[in-house]
Amino acid sequence: MSEPMTLSSLRSPQGLVAYLRSPQGMKAAAWLGLSVLLLILPFYLERFWLQAGLFAMAAAIGAIGLNLLTGSTGQLSLGHAFFLALGAYGYCVFAGDPDSQLVGWGLPPLVAIVMAVLLAGAAGGLFSPIAGRLRGAYLGIATLALIFIGQHVLFNAHDLTGGYNGRSVPTLEVFGLSFDNTRVLVGGVPFQAMEKLWYVGLVMLALGALFARGVLAGRPGRAMNAIRDHRIAAGVMGVPVARYRGWVFVLSSMYAGLAGVLLALVFQRTVPSYFGIILALEYLAMIVIGGLGSVGGAMLGAFFVSLLPQVLTKYSEALPLVSQPGTGGGLAPGEASRYLYGAAVVTAVLFLPGGLVRLPAVLRARRAARIKARAESSRNMEVPT
Amino acid sequence: MIRQRKSTTAAVATATALALALTACSSKAEETGKGDGGGGDEGGIATDIGVTDDTITLGSLTDMTGPYATLGASITQAQQLYVKETNEAGGICDRQLKLEVRDHGYEAEKAISAYTELEPSVLAFVQFIGSPYVTAVKERIDEQDEVVVLPQAWSASLLGSKYIHMIGTTYDYETINAIDFLMTEKGIEEGDTIGHIYFEGDYGENALEGSRHAAEEAGLTVVEQMIKPTDEDMTAQVGALGRAGASAIIVSAGPRQAASVAGVAAAGGLNVPIIGNNSAFAPQLLATDVGPALMNEFYIAIPALPIGSEEDGPQALSETYSAEYPDAVLDSGVVAGYNAISLFGEALQVACDNEDLTREGIADAMLSQESVDNGFGIVHNFSDPEAPSSLESFITKPDDSVPGGTVVVREAFASDMTGSFSRE
Repeated sequence: MSEPMTLSSLRSPQGLVAYLRSPQGMKAAAWLGLSVLLLILPFYLERFWLQAGLFAMAAAIGAIGLNLLTGSTGQLSLGHAFFLALGAYGYCVFAGDPDSQLVGWGLPPLVAIVMAVLLAGAAGGLFSPIAGRLRGAYLGIATLALIFIGQHVLFNAHDLTGGYNGRSVPTLEVFGLSFDNTRVLVGGVPFQAMEKLWYVGLVMLALGALFARGVLAGRPGRAMNAIRDHRIAAGVMGVPVARYRGWVFVLSSMYAGLAGVLLALVFQRTVPSYFGIILALEYLAMIVIGGLGSVGGAMLGAFFVSLLPQVLTKYSEALPLVSQPGTGGGLAPGEASRYLYGAAVVTAVLFLPGGLVRLPAVLRARRAARIKARAESSRNMEVPT
Repeated sequence: MIRQRKSTTAAVATATALALALTACSSKAEETGKGDGGGGDEGGIATDIGVTDDTITLGSLTDMTGPYATLGASITQAQQLYVKETNEAGGICDRQLKLEVRDHGYEAEKAISAYTELEPSVLAFVQFIGSPYVTAVKERIDEQDEVVVLPQAWSASLLGSKYIHMIGTTYDYETINAIDFLMTEKGIEEGDTIGHIYFEGDYGENALEGSRHAAEEAGLTVVEQMIKPTDEDMTAQVGALGRAGASAIIVSAGPRQAASVAGVAAAGGLNVPIIGNNSAFAPQLLATDVGPALMNEFYIAIPALPIGSEEDGPQALSETYSAEYPDAVLDSGVVAGYNAISLFGEALQVACDNEDLTREGIADAMLSQESVDNGFGIVHNFSDPEAPSSLESFITKPDDSVPGGTVVVREAFASDMTGSFSRE
């Protein structure tokens, strides 16, 4: 409909306007708007929302990793929480200063992050002989073991993990910038840990998302999808099935490790009971609700699953039939938020089988169908006259 | 070229405007006053966070949908009852109390979020269930928020902060007192072996420190049996303790495990006294098949009078509580919750007399309470952040004829062995 867009055509205002009207221009503008919005949020949002957002970002990174494995390659993993724990505790051990009770290597935090991610990857690598051979639900059951081993170690390896009450997370310091709770005024707004970490979270998520998109769009992505859709056909075409499965498992573990590091930084303390089977199931829920096999779907699902309970708990007191806890009568807000959360999950799965990521497509299809139906019905009206 | 320059100028202008807008209309922009004393009202009372001219807002982080749902419900209801009573009597410092309750279901993410959400708007937290989560925000409490927190957990790992106050004795001292009771009244002597069944985690491990200390002091041998909160059948553990020749059993676990221990021991003919920490009993157990076994040789060490006691404090509480919540169970959570908030109320009154209702004022008022008795049988001393507010325990015994299901068999005492106890 218009001539191909070149950089020079953007130099003139007309060119710019034309570009912005084209679909790809609108998309670019939307992305630009979204990025600016994300960048300025810490100036406005309360600490509660920033923290909730950071939890969601960490969840999104983890979900992208799991989606590569489960959504794109068809390998079910219930052990994701274990690798999250490895990332979180790995960071604490590598960056922490040793004291009388805890082991710490005292490495620079940035190095510690990289090492924690590599540690999660290495653990995934150790598991990959199993991950390469097993498929689908069988791998799910094998990975379930990781959760139980992980929980036992986290609770009892006191030197490394601090036991039941966990250990405190060393502050992230990069190039002299310290991401701790000391107040720094940025344009009149006091920046504390959550505001500062927001940008760390954005960078991590953006890098993670772009990398995963790259993987999925290229040759490895096609191979992974082939393995998912027809393992034998993929093998016949020359895709090394076992090796791919193993490597995807390693990659997904590294994503989980990175998510674990970000979670630890936000929590400021690692708690072993968090990394249990419920967390692993939540990650599966995220990718199913968001949409299997796509980066955007994983992110949407992660935001949905981790933000919804927070929003519901915060605002459920305003709902009818909900009363202040402990005053008798009515539903407690915590219970109400659980019911609503459950209902939302069921609704999403029931009406959007392809996940939230399919929502625009579904709406578009509906509208097209409606327009078509209207056109047909109006034609029918004309026939008698 | 001119056009291009125009658009560049426009871009620069937009960017500048955006940057200005960024900071100008943000409600987060720094205001003067926060953190350095705050304002005050006409009455000359200094206030900062969570206190207005007519309301004092208190936070409560509870678990009403997770593993401690029954405890959380009892504590929250008892505290709402206190708030109602106090407000009907005119409030404190001419202000009405208000509780902001958040149910975190014992989940880390929700608990930390709930703390973050409530912290900027409450004067103090009168309930915080879940010691891992209290520990998680401990640094923030100490260095940044400086907010008084009364956790409903009795683990020694929470000691050492001038803002976090535990009500009553910690599990380690409680276990020492329990062993003292076994030795003075149940015929356990030097050279005997006692069994200790404890939860993995801070509750059980803290209790274990106490029993190890007492055993060393008194020349006993402790046979340790660690269990997980998900283990509910204690046959193997009781069997092992029987073979090891245990002449008493300590249970630092939940009510289900305690019931199983009592039942298995009775069925297997192991007739030894069993004593549990305060979290090891729930009145609902008496209606089950192990009820008779529990009423035989089972004891519970607790940090305040039981709700079924004839003393004025518990008696009045059990009457008003049952009137307010006719269907609710009377358990130890009712006393724990009411006890905590009423002790906080005393501190609030002190802070009011000092004309300082700031967070700092309330923290100092808490620390200044060296001898406060609110009618639950224990005199609390909050002046030492390194020690719990009391070292004393009551020893009680299940009895299905009283509300709450327990009666006192030994009045509050602190064992001589507590004096020599120090933590690693």
